[in-house]
Amino acid sequence: MADDPAGRLRYVDALPRQELRDALRRAKAFDPPLRILAEDVLGADSRIDFVAVDPSGCVVLVVIGDEGEDSQLLTRALAHRAWVRPRLRDWLQLGPDLEISASAPVVAAILCPSFSPATRAAADDLGPEVVQLSSCRSVRNGAAATVLLERLSPRPAPAPPAAADHTSRFRSGLSEADLGLTSEEAREFE
Amino acid sequence: MPIVGVPIGERDVVRAAFTWNLAVEVARLGAWAAVVAPLADRASALWPEESIRPMGVNVLLVPATNLEELDRGAREIARQQHASARISVDAGGVVFVRIPPLWLRELGAGQASAGGTELLRWTLLFTSSEGRDLLESYGIAKLVTRLSPGARIGITVHGARRTGEAQAAFLRLAKVTRRRLSAHLTSYGLLVDDLHVYRAIVAQRPIGLVHPQSPAARSMRDVAELVLADARAAAHG
Repeated sequence: MADDPAGRLRYVDALPRQELRDALRRAKAFDPPLRILAEDVLGADSRIDFVAVDPSGCVVLVVIGDEGEDSQLLTRALAHRAWVRPRLRDWLQLGPDLEISASAPVVAAILCPSFSPATRAAADDLGPEVVQLSSCRSVRNGAAATVLLERLSPRPAPAPPAAADHTSRFRSGLSEADLGLTSEEAREFE
Repeated sequence: MPIVGVPIGERDVVRAAFTWNLAVEVARLGAWAAVVAPLADRASALWPEESIRPMGVNVLLVPATNLEELDRGAREIARQQHASARISVDAGGVVFVRIPPLWLRELGAGQASAGGTELLRWTLLFTSSEGRDLLESYGIAKLVTRLSPGARIGITVHGARRTGEAQAAFLRLAKVTRRRLSAHLTSYGLLVDDLHVYRAIVAQRPIGLVHPQSPAARSMRDVAELVLADARAAAHG
């Protein structure tokens, strides 16, 4: 692609995958920041773009896709997650310095230019401890390329207190107060 | 024709997919099945596109702004099917009705007309084995038993990796419900945690037709058999 003599920022179509990964690393684009452990790793039946760790020690599997690939990517990401989860303890044996929390969730982070309503609804329902969606747009600034990420799925909610929390909501959209639940009843299922 | 109410949140595509897949499995067992939901669901991502009707299973949207109107619409659909004699008495059928949980809340708070509680006479809840989901199912059971004493409340445990895990979850929920609410829960089996479930949900295709030999499809069929057996018993009773 020819340099733009005016040096204007402009969106570009998908960068080649390696260039995109390099741009993501350089830009330190992830929020929260991720410590990348490995790149282009063979997962369940395809490759995982990044295996990373977030500040809380959760393993984050980053998969990147092109426009229109979001639903396939969701399936693939969940497959990678299912493949990784039983292997975490083994990884810890192989690399105790990785500072991975074996008991923390394994999160699939999907980067795509856009997501269909169905994919977004499925991700919202699965929750941020399973899958997180971010739109990913490549930008050229002269000869350099960078990446803009925008997190789409909700950020993790703080852990609920032990007592009945009357403001947090269940998957049905109802709260404990809506259902008339007492603290004693809530404790039955802790 | 028996009507099963299934509380499903407006963004709960997983439970909506379970319900739709269950209806398809009931149809595969030779019975008639349909899913009924409020017309407002047309704008949501809960259901497959209208053109997708595997085994003739429709998602029928009825104009309704509360449980009473939804109940009326569902019964009319059930009556029309029965009158059209498309199904033999022995084959039977089931109408699954998506209950917006917020309408349940309004009914419970006395903010809606008292009609529509008939829709709760047979309620099906999907829960995982996670404590938070079990608490939610207990809470909905609490509300349902208050609004419709003596209602049949069925539980299907999903996301289970092992049968024992699902059984333990059901027993835990059933024990607390019996002790605190003096209500009995009916087990409608478990849905296995299987990648095919998520693939099918995203692709809007029924598990039983796309991956019939998968553990998820087999477990869905088992649940359908349990539900249909009770539906036939209720129809003949």
